[in-house]
Parts: sequence; C-alpha cells; structure tokens
Amino acid sequence: MSRRTLVTVFDHEDDILGATRAIREAGFRIADVYAPYAVHGLDKAMGLQPSKLPWVCFVLGLVGAALKVWFEFWTTAQDWPINVGGKPWNSLPAFVPVTFEVMVLFAGVSTVFAFFLVSRLWPGKRAVLADPHVTDDRFILIIDQSDAAFDPVKVERLLEPYHVVRVEEREESGEGGAG
Amino acid sequence: MTIPEFQPPAPILRLVKVLAGLGAATLAAGLFLAPERAWMNLLLAAFYLIGLCLAGVLFIAIQYVSGAGWYVAFRRVPEAMAGALPVAALPVLLVLVASASIYPWAHAGGEHGGAAFWFKDVWLSPLFFVVRALIYLVVWIAFATAILRTSRSQDSDGDLSHTRRNVRLSAAFLVVFGITFWLASYDWLMSLEPEWYSTVFGVYQFSGVILSGLAMITILAVWLYRLGPLRGFLTAEHLHDLGKLLFAFSTFWMYIWFCQFMLIWYADIPEETSHFITRLAGFWQPVFWLNILLNWAVPFLVLLHIPAKRSPGMLLKISWVILVGRWVDLYLMIAPPFVGENPVFGVWEVGIAAGAAGLFFLAVFRTLRHAPVVPVGDPYLEESLSYHN
Repeated sequence: MSRRTLVTVFDHEDDILGATRAIREAGFRIADVYAPYAVHGLDKAMGLQPSKLPWVCFVLGLVGAALKVWFEFWTTAQDWPINVGGKPWNSLPAFVPVTFEVMVLFAGVSTVFAFFLVSRLWPGKRAVLADPHVTDDRFILIIDQSDAAFDPVKVERLLEPYHVVRVEEREESGEGGAG
Repeated sequence: MTIPEFQPPAPILRLVKVLAGLGAATLAAGLFLAPERAWMNLLLAAFYLIGLCLAGVLFIAIQYVSGAGWYVAFRRVPEAMAGALPVAALPVLLVLVASASIYPWAHAGGEHGGAAFWFKDVWLSPLFFVVRALIYLVVWIAFATAILRTSRSQDSDGDLSHTRRNVRLSAAFLVVFGITFWLASYDWLMSLEPEWYSTVFGVYQFSGVILSGLAMITILAVWLYRLGPLRGFLTAEHLHDLGKLLFAFSTFWMYIWFCQFMLIWYADIPEETSHFITRLAGFWQPVFWLNILLNWAVPFLVLLHIPAKRSPGMLLKISWVILVGRWVDLYLMIAPPFVGENPVFGVWEVGIAAGAAGLFFLAVFRTLRHAPVVPVGDPYLEESLSYHN
C-alpha cells in the first residue's frame, strides 16, 4: 500500500513542539515526528497514549523476583542443603539482596528488549531516516496526506509561525519508508 | 507580581492552638500520673519535631548545592519548617532537663550491666551529654537562621550574590549536619539501650527524617495551593517531582532498614540481636510489620503509577501515611525499653502526639507570615514556574 506524506523540517525544539500541536489540533494525521534527542513534552504534543512499557517492567520484575526466590530455595534448602551458622535452610532474609538484584536485572533488561520489539529494532537493521539531519540538528514532522481531510493550503498556513526550513512531498510503498 | 499573603483559616488556627494546649496539659498530667509514659512520648515528640524541621533545612541545602531551580516556587514551605527549628528545640531541651529519668545509663549510676567500655562511660556522662546536645541545637539553628535570612533579603533586590552565599552556607551545613545528626541520633535514641549498638543507625535516622520531611513539605505545599497563596505557582510538575522524591526516599528508608536488620540477623551476636528480639516478640511483632507497611509498602506500590504522583489528593493521603509511619518507626525504637514486653497505646501517646502537631503547625504558620509565600527575588523562579518533566 503506498501512501503520500508531507515531510516538514524544522530548526528548533520550540518550533517542532508548536507545529506538532497545531497540526494535531487541526485534525490532521501525524505519521511520526523525528528529533535528534528526546524533546520534553513531544509525546503530549503528538497526543500519544501513555506507554505500556511500565507494565512490562512491573510484571517481569515480579516474575524475576519469584523465579529467584524459588531458585534460591531449591539450591539451599532442597537440592543441596547447607548449614550456615546454624540458621534454618530456608532463610528468607538471606535471599533478599540477590532477589532484589535479579528483580532489577529482569525488569531493566526485559523493558529494553520489549522496547526493541515494539519499535521493531534489532541488531543489523538498516536505518531508514526521513533525513540524515534528524540525527544531528534538525527536527522533522511527517504529516499523512492519504487522509481525506488533508488540505495543503491549510497546512501551510498552520505551519507559518513555526519557521519551516523545508517542505517535501513523498510517496512510499510498503511499511517502513520514512514512517 | 503580587503575592497573596498567607492567612491560616480561623478554624484551623483554633484547632492547632487547642491541640498544642491539649498536648501541654497531657504532658503536665502525665508527669504526675504516668511519668515513664510521659517521658517516653516527650522524647518521641521531640525527636519527631526536630527531625521535621531539620528536614526543611536539609531539603533547601541539597537544592542549593545541586544548583536546582525546580523547587523555588514552593521554597518558602521548607523554609517555614526550618524557621520552626527554635520552637522544635524546646521539647528537646525538656528531654535534656529530664535526661536523668529518661536514660538508663544516667539513672542506673554506672550500673547498667557494668561498664562495657571506658569510652562509653565517658561519652555517656550526663554533663557531656547535655553540652553536646546544646552544641548540636545551636549549630543547627545558626545555619537555619543564616540561610533563611539570606533567602529573604533576596526578595527585595533579586541579587545573585544571595544565591551564591546560600550555596556556600548549604555546603557547610550538609557536612556539619552529617556529623552532628549522626551523633545526635546515637545520643538521643540509641543510648536508650546502652548495651546495643548499630553503626548504620545514623543513616537509618537520616532516611526517616528526610522521608517524613518530604511528606510534610508536600502536605504544606498542597494546603497552600488549596488555600490560595500558591495558586498559579505550584504546578503538577512540582507535585510529580515531590512524588518521585517520596517514592525514592521511601525505598531508601527500606533499603537502610534492611541493611541494619540483615547484618544483625546474619551475624547473630547476642548484644546486637537483643534489639530485634524484643521487637519481634509478642504484640510488638504486628507493630514491627506495620512499620514496614506504612513507610515503604504502601507508598511504594501507590507511587509507582505516574498519575498518583501528579494528583494532589493522592499525594496528601500517602504523605499522611508516611507521617504516621514515622511515628510508628520512632515508637518502635523508643518504647520497648520503657514499657517492656507489650506495646501500649493510650491517652498519653495520643495527647502528646497531638500537642507536638499543634506546636509544629503553630510555629510553621508563624514563620510563613514572616515573608512573601513565594521567593519573588530568586533568579531561578522563572525556571521553576515553566519547567516540565
């Protein structure tokens, strides 16, 4: 499926924030926004739903902690009981530090992998950039043109106050592409 | 920019005065009817209050030293707590006067199970104890007064030199506080059980102080917002950051608590484990678990969620839970040597805690009226009003 997009390039953080908000509030569909660094408030300007990653982090943290407690119980109390200072084999306080570490490790690493998965990133993937400058000093807003409501004149007027550096129409096929 | 003046609503002011009077009456009656309980609760209230006020200075000092700007919009709140320090020193002075009846090493006349160590005998001699305590109090009040005065003189001229001066004062305070507060917590709390020792005790007390202080800052800031003076200044971003700090220090408290517990449990040396054995026996055990529930489990689980950190109502609830938790924490530390095998809770606990609350809020309301509710001259104010997370 091919789609037509309008690629608009900006020079400043404030401009991309303002332009994104104006375009979304006017009812146009934003394909995506690119920036060389994390711009605070951009998610709100784009109207993105809150991320679901914290839930992945929370659940997998619990899974990691549970697995670790079970494993320590199995090694110290079941499979090869060891007497340490006359303490009971199944001594929970001794398990806490390692359980904590494993929980953090599980939660952290699995959140990163979950993020890679949903953003379809993997080692060796070829970078598809809307413009090489998004990794350096430019901010790019891509507006979906396939929308029936798209009106180039209105878009141009909306973007006027935000110092657009360059505007370019693109047509792509398949998924991926600039979007 | 016009800053509305703070005026506590009349019913609240009346309530606070009644609470303070009630506390004084309870303490006076307690000295005759149940002296042990009265002294125990006086010590608890004194340490609770001095900790809250110190947390005010500590919070400001940390922000100055780290060059932070986000907190400026509500800085007068921790400043009001810091300004209440001389008032909070009054119950501590009462504790000093009564130290002979409070501390076992003072009234046992050197027969507290025999001198374990010559240094302890020197350190815990009544005169040295009182002199040390007076030094801590004077140093803390001097720093708090100097930092407050500098901050207030910035209101009129907005000069950056005041900020620089407070950065220097704050850095010095943090070092001095680290040493004096650590010693004060040994002197005033740990010496209740003179045979027992824990090296991490000072850090443990610090974690409780900063946690309860953050909770009180949050409560006062939200109140000032609801009453009007901070409207237009306090934003959801400030609440979000306060929520993050509450979350972080609640977990820090748990971390330090467990550091102390686990090493003692693991080493299993009788003179160290005695502390926890008393507190895990009988009806002390529910209090032991309640402490962890209020100070960590509840704040941790609730504040994990971003909307909870940005909601004034939820933050107020969690802050109150933490403040009750701080009371339980101190109660669990102080009460067992006084009351023995089972916890007691009655009119002396409620009355003196209410009195402490009354005294604290009276002092805070008074200092809040000494200066504009927003530090209008601070160069960082603009940043504080416009930043976002």
